[in-house]
Amino acid sequence: MEKRETYLWRIAVTGTCFTLFGLGGLILGLLVFPAMMLLPGDAARRRARTRGLVQRAFRLFVYVMNGGGGISYEIQGRERLGRPGQLVIANHPTLVDVVLIVAFTPAPACVVKVALFHNPFTRRVVQAAGYISNSPTDEMIERSAAALRADDCLVMFPEGTRTRPGQPFAFNRGAASVALRAARVLTPVYIRCEPVVLPKGDSWYKVPPRRPHFTLEVGDDIDLASYRALPPPKASRQLNAWLQDHYAARLGTSGGYNGTRGS
Amino acid sequence: MQTKDEIFEQIKAALTELFELDLGRITPAARLNEDLEIDSIDAVDLLDRLRRQTGAKISAEDFRSVRTVGDMVEAVHKIVRA
Repeated sequence: MEKRETYLWRIAVTGTCFTLFGLGGLILGLLVFPAMMLLPGDAARRRARTRGLVQRAFRLFVYVMNGGGGISYEIQGRERLGRPGQLVIANHPTLVDVVLIVAFTPAPACVVKVALFHNPFTRRVVQAAGYISNSPTDEMIERSAAALRADDCLVMFPEGTRTRPGQPFAFNRGAASVALRAARVLTPVYIRCEPVVLPKGDSWYKVPPRRPHFTLEVGDDIDLASYRALPPPKASRQLNAWLQDHYAARLGTSGGYNGTRGS
Repeated sequence: MQTKDEIFEQIKAALTELFELDLGRITPAARLNEDLEIDSIDAVDLLDRLRRQTGAKISAEDFRSVRTVGDMVEAVHKIVRA
């Protein structure tokens, strides 16, 4: 068991990180992005630049969390992230997942919660980076497919929201549908977090009893050809069911939590 | 220029082919979601299919208020007539 001071320190680091994240979003959105608009280039060029900057900001954020002792992490297979037309999917145990994946994927697009487009700290960032809102469904699917056809790398969390601890995986079919429509390649990332940090419904200061360790494992590409031979509604259902089973087999049915929390 | 009957037949063909529905269930009054179990993701697949079949430029926006098969016939008819 770590010392009480270490525990309090981790609460302080977590609080600082939340503050930094919000401040970072404001500074990028209010100062940096408007300044970048002065740089030359067409819309696609600007968006790529913005996404590259968001990626580097997230990586810095990860280094701060790691260096400050808030979390530790390891990534296996990151060289296979960021290919053109690649759809990257991942399970979603914690609030930090999107930051970790974006931080280590070259300039990706990302499907994020519609709420981030209304949050004053995040909305300018997600807008400038051309991220895609997960609502309404038809627009999400069409915009995601368009991004993949334009050879962007796109990150999606098929659960749509963080995993509820102890509940089996429930994947939304949207990701499977987007994959079948337009992905050149579909790559799964398995995220493990031990002990779990910031799951759905917890306050920020509820840090776990030990420093959480993240493992991001980039899996083998998933073959889509056999599904593409089926009528699309059937294909997306079958692929989605397969993905759910696949993730459950990899991570256990309780959604990427390797242990019970708080123990 | 297609009549509403022709459009209805095309929609029927699309629904049976994509969703393997019995023809008898596809009536103008049938509700897509409740009666035919077609959700918002299926609707995007259906739209794609209708676009290819009718050659009409149907956007998701045109279908936002569609609830029944009959509504869909009306929506497509409005677009091909325009």
